[in-house]
Amino acid sequence: MTHRFKLSNLYLFLVFAVLYAPILFLIVFSFSQGDSMSHFHGFTFSHYLALLNDTRLIIIVLQTLLIALLSSLIATIIGTLGALGINQTSRPITRNSILSLNNILIVSPDVIIGASFLIFFTALKIPLGFTTVLLSHIAFSIPIVVLMVLPKLRELGTSMVSAASDLGASNGQILSKIILPYITPGILSGFFMALTYSLDDFAVTFFVTGNGFSTLSVEIYSRARQGISLEINALSGILFLFALVLVVGYYFLNQYQQNRRLKRANREEDIL
Amino acid sequence: MKRLLSLLLGIAAICVLLAFSANKLQSTSGDSSAKVLNLYNWGDYIDPALITKFQKETGYHVNVETFDSNEAMFTKIKQGGTSYDLTVPSDYMIEKMRAAHLLKPLDKSRLTGFANLDARFTNQSFDPHNRYSVPYFWGTLGIIYNDQSIKPEEVQHWNDLWQPKFKNKIMLIDSTRDVLGFSLVSMNQSMNTTNPAILKAAQAKLNRLSPNVKAVVADEIKMYMTENEAPLAVDWSGEASEMIANNPHLHYVVPTEGSNLWFDNLVIPKTAKHYKAIYAFLNFMLKPENAAQNAEYIGYATPNKKAKALLPKSIRNDKQFYPSDRTIANLQVYSDLSPHTIGLYNDLYLEFKMNHH
Repeated sequence: MTHRFKLSNLYLFLVFAVLYAPILFLIVFSFSQGDSMSHFHGFTFSHYLALLNDTRLIIIVLQTLLIALLSSLIATIIGTLGALGINQTSRPITRNSILSLNNILIVSPDVIIGASFLIFFTALKIPLGFTTVLLSHIAFSIPIVVLMVLPKLRELGTSMVSAASDLGASNGQILSKIILPYITPGILSGFFMALTYSLDDFAVTFFVTGNGFSTLSVEIYSRARQGISLEINALSGILFLFALVLVVGYYFLNQYQQNRRLKRANREEDIL
Repeated sequence: MKRLLSLLLGIAAICVLLAFSANKLQSTSGDSSAKVLNLYNWGDYIDPALITKFQKETGYHVNVETFDSNEAMFTKIKQGGTSYDLTVPSDYMIEKMRAAHLLKPLDKSRLTGFANLDARFTNQSFDPHNRYSVPYFWGTLGIIYNDQSIKPEEVQHWNDLWQPKFKNKIMLIDSTRDVLGFSLVSMNQSMNTTNPAILKAAQAKLNRLSPNVKAVVADEIKMYMTENEAPLAVDWSGEASEMIANNPHLHYVVPTEGSNLWFDNLVIPKTAKHYKAIYAFLNFMLKPENAAQNAEYIGYATPNKKAKALLPKSIRNDKQFYPSDRTIANLQVYSDLSPHTIGLYNDLYLEFKMNHH
């Protein structure tokens, strides 16, 4: 029994090692004095300093984050409303066909979506730039949010909602007091999925950037012709650390809230 | 509900903050008034210090945007919706863009310093009399060898690659025109041939090279060569100069019988708007001291004769990257072939790659 346990631990360790080794490798080399990833040449912070002086790259990072946050926020709102609407449809045929249309957008290749956006925007004479990138990111994020929120709505079922309306709750109250709190985890995961999709999207973004506006993935890809400088490693290191802090922070926040909720529940029990 | 609302507000606040700081940074890095120039360039293909210098000298703010392939750039410009003022296509792409009416002719009367350019690199077949383009950088295709296992005299010509002793020792750059091209040159044929029979013969000859070919790879070739994974490679001069900088045992040879001569030229696409800024920038880049600084930063060969004279002797006299007149006379520029011929090239090349594995 204990033997099998150890083996599974080893397997887990191996999987994580394989997943994280490239990232660690990248970060380690961001401290190398050399100019390439072939040999480590001794410790330095120079690439981080170069990064700080590269205003263009910093602007692009800020723009990328802005696009990611804003587009996933708007997509989450639209997607959640969409999921509510789909959940309301009574005829299974309508619901299934809307869902299939939604899923087709998720599986169709990014290149095709990007090219069609480019043709669409230029046909409407919308100049490429911030707006077009934002709009296309919102568009490809919405189906993901719908897909994340819908299962939670199914789980909720109809009994709670009918109970609430039987007890005299208005539609607004049902939405804000029953449905939204229940599906919050789905909304949050939809938001974070949209965020990651937007952050690392290259194919769609490439087609719709223009007029001085660019995002990180497009910029890094274009720099690859000359070989990627270690400045990019330094940037990746910082972003990785940032993501790590966010995830760990989110975990502790959750723990804290859960503890508080537990304590409150205990106290109420004591009072009773 | 409250939690969702506060999250929403929080994210909105972060967005405002991000937008504000991005704007602020943009305005400090140059004034964002109407005096702008939109440069659409290859990634990391200009010395950033020169952009700063240009902005200080002229007061124009330069927006740099980057692309990673000629084809991608072509699509973006053709589709419109952008306002790029200058871009840097390679030779065959200039021909293609010209044919598609995507280029605006240069007004030579507004150019100063065009005479600084080496006459050998102007008036090329892809743009007769430079009606549309100003040469930016040029380079060649050649053989890279490692002096630890290969003697220089062993690889001076394309045909040397076929020697049985190089079994499994050569890496090729994954590029249709270049790989078929050097096979064509080795048979004394034009790199722009449209004759199917000659192309088939070139492919048959390449198939005989197969035992010597270790791999057909793209950008990674630089890393493999620096790491001594193979002693021989066929690649472009720009890539070669980077490999040599990282591994002093590597050397670059342009076979005297001929090879490809490539150009990246500055052109004005039809999307251009800021003509004053465009000519200010072209004239700025034609100045010998600026062109020399750029060439030293990028490591490619400059077509600017006066700039070359300003380069350090070690670079200027390097026969690897500034080959002799006799070799240059034998170099060939790719022309834009018909889609049908390009299809034939691609098919034959693909067959060669399939054969290899």
